Amino acid sequence: MALLTLENVSVAYENQNILDNFSLNIEKGQLISLLGPSGCGKTTTLRLIAGFLEAKAGRFLFDGKDYTRVPVNKRNFGFVFQSYALFPHLSVFDNVAFGLRLRKVNQAEIDQRVRHILDVVSLNGFEKRFPKELSGGQRQRVAIARALVIQPDLLLFDEPLSNLDANLRVNMRVEIRRIQQELGITTVYVSHDQEECFSISDQVAIMNKGIIEQLDDPATIFKYPRTEFVARFIGFNNFIDFGERTEQDGEIHLTAGSHTFRAAKNPGTANHSGKKGAIRPDDLVVSAEEPADSVRNVLKGKVKVSTFLGRSYQYVVETDLGDFTVNQEMDSPYKAGQPVYLMFPKEKLVLVD
Amino acid sequence: MREKNRGLALFTFLIFLFLLGPLLIISVTSFEPGTVLKFPPQGFSLRWYENIFEVEMFMETFKTSMIVSLAGNLLALALGIPAAYALSRFQFKGKSLLNGVFISPVLIPGIVMGFAMLKYVIITYQLPIYAGLLVGHTVLMLPFIIRVIASSLSNFDFAIEEASLSLGAGRLETFFKVVLPNIRSGIIAAVLIAFLESFNNVDISVFMTGPGVSTLPIQMLTYVENYFDPTIAAISVLLMIITAIFMFIIERLMGLSYFTKR
Amino acid sequence: MKKLGLYLLLLPGLLFLTLFMVIPIAMTVLSTFFQEGSFTLEGYLHFLADPYFLKILWTTLQVSVVTTIACILLGFPAAYYISKLGPRKKGVLLALAIFPLLTSSVVRSFSWMIILGKKGLLNSSLLSLGLIEKPLEILYTPSAMMIGLIHLFLPLIIITLVGVMENIDPDLLKAAESLGASKFTAFRQVIVPLSVPGLIIGSILVFVGSLTAYTTPALLGGKQRVISTFLYQNAITLNDWHMASVIATIMIAITFIVIGLMNKLATKLNPKG
Repeated sequence: MALLTLENVSVAYENQNILDNFSLNIEKGQLISLLGPSGCGKTTTLRLIAGFLEAKAGRFLFDGKDYTRVPVNKRNFGFVFQSYALFPHLSVFDNVAFGLRLRKVNQAEIDQRVRHILDVVSLNGFEKRFPKELSGGQRQRVAIARALVIQPDLLLFDEPLSNLDANLRVNMRVEIRRIQQELGITTVYVSHDQEECFSISDQVAIMNKGIIEQLDDPATIFKYPRTEFVARFIGFNNFIDFGERTEQDGEIHLTAGSHTFRAAKNPGTANHSGKKGAIRPDDLVVSAEEPADSVRNVLKGKVKVSTFLGRSYQYVVETDLGDFTVNQEMDSPYKAGQPVYLMFPKEKLVLVD
Repeated sequence: MREKNRGLALFTFLIFLFLLGPLLIISVTSFEPGTVLKFPPQGFSLRWYENIFEVEMFMETFKTSMIVSLAGNLLALALGIPAAYALSRFQFKGKSLLNGVFISPVLIPGIVMGFAMLKYVIITYQLPIYAGLLVGHTVLMLPFIIRVIASSLSNFDFAIEEASLSLGAGRLETFFKVVLPNIRSGIIAAVLIAFLESFNNVDISVFMTGPGVSTLPIQMLTYVENYFDPTIAAISVLLMIITAIFMFIIERLMGLSYFTKR
Repeated sequence: MKKLGLYLLLLPGLLFLTLFMVIPIAMTVLSTFFQEGSFTLEGYLHFLADPYFLKILWTTLQVSVVTTIACILLGFPAAYYISKLGPRKKGVLLALAIFPLLTSSVVRSFSWMIILGKKGLLNSSLLSLGLIEKPLEILYTPSAMMIGLIHLFLPLIIITLVGVMENIDPDLLKAAESLGASKFTAFRQVIVPLSVPGLIIGSILVFVGSLTAYTTPALLGGKQRVISTFLYQNAITLNDWHMASVIATIMIAITFIVIGLMNKLATKLNPKG
């Protein structure tokens, strides 16, 4: 049974539905990310779980109990804010001890637990500092320590790394993952940074306009996006609309215009009724020479734009099925106007809704 | 989504009732037809509004107040705009001290300032009372003028000034053609705020009265000590209408954040 | 060249202030230490020895302290409520608080004469409700002064506090709640300490304002003198300019001591904020 269940919840803000009939299950011990563009409802979902918002309909179950009407301060969830929300008038020690004091923990235990948790986030010796005297990364660690020290039943992160610079972001996300696994604490993590979510999560929920487009482990999402939105979000930007779909010789045959394409049967195609194909720019091959007749999945076109990406070149190729984007490593690039052939292996074609 | 706190809302409502109720009561009683202030009024009449214009002292002192506040305002602008500009534009030694000096008139108790001015400006310097009033009100308005204009200049991008200089305009020309138009609303707001401060002033004006010279608030003060008819209520309503209009314009020009920042 | 320009911009204002404010104030203060050409503290000794004067000073301080405390207690919750409102409602309530502040103090004090007078609104309603048998004597007492002064200065502390409170990150309250604090505890442990700077500035404004206010005590205090009306009485009615100068100096001294002490307190209570 899931540890956390959102059951048909609806949330509205200023008469606009942000979440409508929304459901989500989270297993114990997992780190699940809510990923999506701004306005997709991911932060609303997180705040709903935290108890900062009230749903106008639906239920929120936690550990088998109905938490829908339980106020924030009775939930025992740790929340790490985007702004860190450290109390500016309290020292690092007092910030971390804040929740323990409210729980009437005795002073000796407070000392011991604060010291231990500061150890975990590598902030020993900073007890007397004030938030103003810390760097962004240190503040972040204090915020995490403050949320962890109360031994929360659930840990919630709201874009915790968005105020840090790129290098620190990578270090901190490894830290967060390490601490989460060390303590085995169920965690919900909100971000709009794809790489961040994919790198640390057990499960990723890709959200759009208040619904979950796909909930899977990161590798599955990365390989087999189920909807066009997810595909675009994770970097598939070539799409083909297919007409007919048939199965022959263990392959799927798909027609588009005068072309027939073949796709391998795999989780990205087999159980999918979608008639739209998606291919990553990296999975297309571009060549000036006409391939042999035996080669399948070929499209003739003309280079429209050529740009240099550092390691590879990117081409926009015009074909009778529209424009395609291709990334390819090569020594001397094709120029605009060059007639080319586009090819892709049948395994790389994914079907989406 | 915002938490509802009925108790706090009710408390705040009562606070505003306390703040605005008396002003409402004054407004209502100004329409009293009888000769004694009553609440609720015994009828509806505008006779006390007419009375304002029949009591010569009110008209005289109103004129004095207007002249002093307007002329003092101009003088304070002439002194204050260059100072505010210098204090916002340049970094120099002793800047914070000078800032303090220009703001200091609001720190000195008004009644002390009035007395000191009577003693020295009127008696020692032997300025006529009218001139003393004008000088006193200019000193009073100066900090308000400087503060509002400086805050308006703090949002001004001085690179625009450099752009103007690089295009061939002189310093003075740049100031009048580029800087001034961009802080116009700040200046107007400064004028209105300073005007209200001056027009309502009692502490300084109360020392600067003499034969035939007094301001409207002082005249009202004297009147209240001797009569209790609704004339003062009627004047109060007119003053509140002016205040409300001024406040509306100030809000349009620069919002209300000037008042909440300290 | 640049320096010269700077002086030219600042000089007119500085000269004007020096001539018409700095010199008069400085001379007023200095004059209290000299009588007939020789140094003396007689004015102050006289002041400190006279129970009547001391009583006035004491009343003034009492009225100012009560006014300040009342303004804090009434203003703090109201300011908190306003600071949590949406921009529209907040704007309206702020405007309603600022309006009385910009209204003439004569008008505002006069309104309390209508209410608190012997035949005033308060007495007539209490009488007609049968709650009292004969009119209460409120007008022309220190209580009337306090009511008038609270009315005068409450908006000031409200808008000052709103200015501070609306800059407190709302996530701090949420953080406190997520750590187990009730709404009230979060308010007490987060909002209150973080409002201290605003509270101190507001309190200075109210305390110094009540200490030196003239119009309200003059209209509502009747025969009860406070230090400002006492200064006026000495200067104009009694024509005792030496005494008036002594009082003026004491007022300046108290003002600056209060501002200085409160500023010290502010830095002490708020070392890192």
